[in-house]
Amino acid sequence: MDASTCYQVKLEVFQGPLDLLLFLIRKKRIDIHDIPMATITREYLDYLDRKDRINLDREAEFLLIAALLIYIKSQMLLPREKPLDEEKDPRQVLVDQLLDYQRMKAASGHLKEKEEEEMQQWKRTVLPSVYSEDEIDLAESFFTLMKRKEREGIKTIKGKEFSLEEKMKEILALLEANESIDFLDYFYHQESFEEALVAFLGLLELIKSKVVIAIQEIHFKPIKVWLQKEYAKSN
Amino acid sequence: MKKRLQEIIESLIFISLEPLTLEKIKSVLTEFEEKEIEQAINELLENYMTNERGIHIIQAAGGFLFSTKPEHDSWIKRLLKVERKGRLSSAALETLSAIAYHQPVTLAEISALRGVDSTHTLKTLLQKRMVKIVGRKKSPGNPLIYRTSEKFLTYFGLNSVNDLPSPEELSKILEEEDISEEDSPAQ
Repeated sequence: MDASTCYQVKLEVFQGPLDLLLFLIRKKRIDIHDIPMATITREYLDYLDRKDRINLDREAEFLLIAALLIYIKSQMLLPREKPLDEEKDPRQVLVDQLLDYQRMKAASGHLKEKEEEEMQQWKRTVLPSVYSEDEIDLAESFFTLMKRKEREGIKTIKGKEFSLEEKMKEILALLEANESIDFLDYFYHQESFEEALVAFLGLLELIKSKVVIAIQEIHFKPIKVWLQKEYAKSN
Repeated sequence: MKKRLQEIIESLIFISLEPLTLEKIKSVLTEFEEKEIEQAINELLENYMTNERGIHIIQAAGGFLFSTKPEHDSWIKRLLKVERKGRLSSAALETLSAIAYHQPVTLAEISALRGVDSTHTLKTLLQKRMVKIVGRKKSPGNPLIYRTSEKFLTYFGLNSVNDLPSPEELSKILEEEDISEEDSPAQ
């Protein structure tokens, strides 16, 4: 190995072992259909040796390919009675995988360009109305509603706990099915105060993370909740 | 009348939240003939192409959608106070292309294609709704199978998955890259 092959590359640069292999192949100007196994295996193992930081999860992936390289190399060293057929070339598995991966990389490069193009073309992401409901108003409406309900006498079901995540999922599912929901109506049908409270917190969370949008076009009118466009119907 | 049809279609595209498909337009405009509608759409598109306007109609995910023109990007960013839009990571792009070219696929297949465990990346893509679950494979363990979503198409400005370069075209891109690399002086 001459000095020009002494390069230092951080592992993070590569997406994975296949990426590294492709890099080495390009670097050495190797024909992908006729890989000199000894050279490439040595290069690959050298690289793993030189690496200083160890990340166990990723290490396994790199070692897996190292094992494959060594296996193929050993297969090629075995003396055979008959010369190897083109089809039986032990390198074929690797070559196929590399070619496939190479195409995938090209495709992801293409996607990156498309992403860049699309980023500059803005689309409407919210519904026509731009009055986004003040959270304090939402809270006020909520408590007014709960008070009204209290007067009617709420039956409390005990021993049931409500998770915020569950409620958020429920609201989203409802929105996906109905396009929009009436905020007050929704809370009115909650069984207990706790449940309504959790649901309310869930709604706030959804508004905060810009998944839904709450709109009250005129004061004292129902507050409607919509999915933000980005989240609507993308399924 | 023709002019009016164009206007109606324009308003339909304007008001819809996701790319509006031709089928949908046809199903709404029952009083017009399909041919008329198609012609009106083409004229409308042409109209937007030739006229000097800040917005144009693009075709994505099999439908029509209004969008601003790329050259106005910097002013829109100023208005919306956006510095830089978040982009997908290279791992995400790689995973998406693995799915797009091999769908329907399972997580294990994606990981094998990339040579890297893709659990986390796939989870992120699911959250971003770029990918959807379409069922389970009838094989040991019944793993979930995934496809790219409508949002994937809209995000990358693709009309359908067929808009992506074919494997042959990809090989050609790779060859060109190789040539340009050889032309450049060795480091």
